Amino acid sequence: MALPNKVLPGFVASLYMQPGAAPTPIATAVLLGTYATVSPFVVAANLLEVEAIPAFGQEDAMANFSVAGSRQSDKIPVQSAPFSLSFIHAWNPTNANLLLVRGDAYSGLIDRTYVIAFVEGANQVLFAFNARAGQFSIDSAPGAEAQCTFTLHPRGNLFGWSNNV
Amino acid sequence: MGQNSAAVYAQAIQTALQSVVAPTPVYASFNRNFASEPTFLTWTLRNVHQPVYTGPQINKGIDRPTCGTNVYAQTMATCFAQAQLVVDALHGYQGLLGGLFYVAKIDVDWLYNTFDNDNKLHQIVLDMTFDIPS
Repeated sequence: MALPNKVLPGFVASLYMQPGAAPTPIATAVLLGTYATVSPFVVAANLLEVEAIPAFGQEDAMANFSVAGSRQSDKIPVQSAPFSLSFIHAWNPTNANLLLVRGDAYSGLIDRTYVIAFVEGANQVLFAFNARAGQFSIDSAPGAEAQCTFTLHPRGNLFGWSNNV
Repeated sequence: MGQNSAAVYAQAIQTALQSVVAPTPVYASFNRNFASEPTFLTWTLRNVHQPVYTGPQINKGIDRPTCGTNVYAQTMATCFAQAQLVVDALHGYQGLLGGLFYVAKIDVDWLYNTFDNDNKLHQIVLDMTFDIPS
């Protein structure tokens, strides 16, 4: 089986979450490339039906060094903070997964493993990360879909890629 | 599921409008043959569409189709009265439309009234927007 060899549109990406009210997030070493451990989360029961997957990745923080009189300074990456990801999800008051995210946001302390799955047929590329949920809000303006917005804040260094090749 | 059934929408609209304006006849589209009747309603359903979201096929948003409704009557007073019946019954309506599916809200927009000189019929055009949960 090969990796998807296509330019994929954004809507083949899905967000899955580790189930349970008191999850034990997956360890960093396992997040990195261990498809067999991450892929069990990629089932319909764990799906978060978000409208779209936002851009995700890392943003660098760096130290700048310069010597007085020198022509160039130096940039040394000192941190690689993962992006926070803001999602929009139709607000369904009985959606069990959404209630877990709401509970996480209310707690503020729960670490949970999330998986973004890029799929083409049977081929999957998974991006797994441990994150805390926050900024959970519900907008039920009339004449439109009632939506909840939440932000996942990935913990530093706790993410990794894997695939089913 | 690909999309909520437009056929079920149509049945529900027909049933709901019939119950609102009974005994005035209600038809699913305009046909000149019906113009022999002194008062009647026609409707057309358009813009049936649930937005597509990321991931699996089931992941979709709410449907907000529009039902264009035309009220025809030989007298202006009857035409306005019939249209008012529809507005009173359905504007802001929430519930099981026609006993078939749940609508969160119906928004009835009274567009305009006019007169069809060929058929000698007054006409009022309403647009009804349905908010249908997915």
